[in-house]
Amino acid sequence: MALNYTKISKNTSLQNRIVQDPSFGIIALLLFAIILMTILEPSFATSGNVTNIVNAMMTVSFLALGMTIVLIAGGLDLSVGSTMAVTAGVAGKFISYGIDMKVAFICALAIGTGIGVINGLLVTKLGIPDFIATLAMLGIGQGVILLWTQGVPILDYMNETYYYIGGLKKIVGPISIPMIVVVVVSIALAIILKRTKFGLNLYAVGSSPFSARNSGVNVDLIKISAYAISGFLAAIAGIHIAGRTTTIPPLIGKGYEISAIAAAVIGGASLLGGKGRVIGALIGALTLTLTRNIINLVGIESSWQAIVTGSVLVGAVLANRASGEFGKKLNRRIRT
Amino acid sequence: MEDKVRIEKDVEVSRRSILRTSALVGAGIGAAQIFGTTPVAALGGTTNATLDKAIKEIVKGKTIKVGFTPPVLSENFTQIESAAWRKMAEFEKRFGVKWVWERQAPVGDFNAVQGTLGIVQSWISRKFDAIAVCTGANFATVQDLYKTANSKGLKVFQFNQPAELYPEDQLQTVANIGYDNRWQSGYLAGKYVAKTLGGKGNILQIWGPSGSDWTRGRRIGFDKALKEHPGIKVLGEADGGYVRDKGFTAAQDLLTKYPNVNAIYGENEEMALGASQAIDAAGLKHWNGKTGIVTIGADGLVSGFKAIAAGKLTATVDIGGIDQGQNLIEAIFADVALGQTLTQIINNPTQVVDKTNYKWHQAYAEWALATPRKYGK
Repeated sequence: MALNYTKISKNTSLQNRIVQDPSFGIIALLLFAIILMTILEPSFATSGNVTNIVNAMMTVSFLALGMTIVLIAGGLDLSVGSTMAVTAGVAGKFISYGIDMKVAFICALAIGTGIGVINGLLVTKLGIPDFIATLAMLGIGQGVILLWTQGVPILDYMNETYYYIGGLKKIVGPISIPMIVVVVVSIALAIILKRTKFGLNLYAVGSSPFSARNSGVNVDLIKISAYAISGFLAAIAGIHIAGRTTTIPPLIGKGYEISAIAAAVIGGASLLGGKGRVIGALIGALTLTLTRNIINLVGIESSWQAIVTGSVLVGAVLANRASGEFGKKLNRRIRT
Repeated sequence: MEDKVRIEKDVEVSRRSILRTSALVGAGIGAAQIFGTTPVAALGGTTNATLDKAIKEIVKGKTIKVGFTPPVLSENFTQIESAAWRKMAEFEKRFGVKWVWERQAPVGDFNAVQGTLGIVQSWISRKFDAIAVCTGANFATVQDLYKTANSKGLKVFQFNQPAELYPEDQLQTVANIGYDNRWQSGYLAGKYVAKTLGGKGNILQIWGPSGSDWTRGRRIGFDKALKEHPGIKVLGEADGGYVRDKGFTAAQDLLTKYPNVNAIYGENEEMALGASQAIDAAGLKHWNGKTGIVTIGADGLVSGFKAIAAGKLTATVDIGGIDQGQNLIEAIFADVALGQTLTQIINNPTQVVDKTNYKWHQAYAEWALATPRKYGK
């Protein structure tokens, strides 16, 4: 009898944990969409389409991961799209000048990280609100790339290696370099968030900067570091997208900041800070990419596409909230 | 060596200018009214000392202050602007006219129309002589703004604008320099696909954002070509947002569902080039003259011509960006400096460009981009 009780208790606990997971709602929604599409659209569940979806979500994944870190720390980074464009430009232009590819990438990563550090300094040392500071950086980044290129796309930088970096050529089967980089970056970030003092401090600063400061946390340093990570990941996205598109038009980063925020929020990050997960950012990126893929496969007229995408965003956030409430109710019922 | 190159380029330009003028007159379209009936008609590479002197006496070293605002900074608009600078430098030398040039583009995409309205308003208050506008803004809104400009003595010209979609009598502009998106772009692309495929085949379409006037115009033309060739079936279409990565993703998605297509139409060149990448990524073959997938776009960019040369893009509709830039300056000069009356719609020739004729189109665009003088810098 006692054994049966323990078994039931363990099962309930597991069930409760699944339902209470912050991403349960969106995962359920995604599974529903995937099952429905598999039944209705024969081309959906093919290896080719799955590869397309995974490749297409890489850019937003990098940006969403960076955005999630910033959101956890209680910030907001509107400059990720323009940082991505600038760093893509640096990588492409330097290679076209004949500079070694590795050096070009290091420069791009350094510039991306530098932009993040500047964002962090503007927010922490000058007291400029996150929204304004990063909005300004978005404008500056766009201006720099437009002045630099004079509106003409950057060309003539692609080489054999870059096709692999852009994911246009695969290393083994359907596996591409960007996929490996996303996995490595995600694992690293997950470890940082869950297992390091820095990760705990990020959550603490985002939840209550005042309490964190009183507990001896260097709030400014944590915030600057969060923006630096976001800038670094935007640079990785820049290097990647330059390879994916094989040309760098000046407006290449336009609108990506919104996609990054949407993906992070769909994944459970809170705009109020203190919440967010690596897996959530990836689920958010997948949701956005999958939505677009379904729209294209089903053939929804373009006028409806924005409505569908907006509705999915609202639906995803509501689904997460509903699953959270359901989980709490379930928890209360079990306790009583 | 540099001088030799310049001379060779100038000779080429003169040849091209003659070609351009004859094509316009031959086509009997609006532009002929500039070239065919005014002294500026003599620009066709044939300078005339007496004529130039007579115009100089009228111009009296006048300075014309021009504001140029494209909807975005892009390769297409850079080509148009460079071509305009070429013509400005030429007229400055021949007729003694001086130019003040200011380019401002709204930061954003084709929909950043508020930026355009603000730019035009600032030029109105700063009393420019002429304003050249291309915008995705609502037709009625901009016509109201142009009316205000007109009341303050400013001359408004539109370029690369699908003016053909609106009643001509409601246009508040001096002239619209461009081409007909329906019959000089969308229709040509549809006809080319039909002809290349022998009137039978399946196609995919990647369009610009819904609500765009360019999309609307080109779709009308492409649909007409489809009606004339019922053997061509549209299997699927998607929004590529006028940019390459979205065009690439959209084409990838569609090719997953319809791998057996014969052609992909990208409404602009960037999206067509994205579709071309999707063909490579899917391991499919580009059109080789007999088999493979035909890809066609529209713009006439140097990057597009290079893709045609490399066999990555089958064709594009050169919408005559270089002619637009040159015609714009001729129109402004004819109206502001000479006081002539222009026709509202001044359309330049367009052409489908493929492997058979890309070289001269590319050379023409590169000539414009290598302008010896940049204004407003």
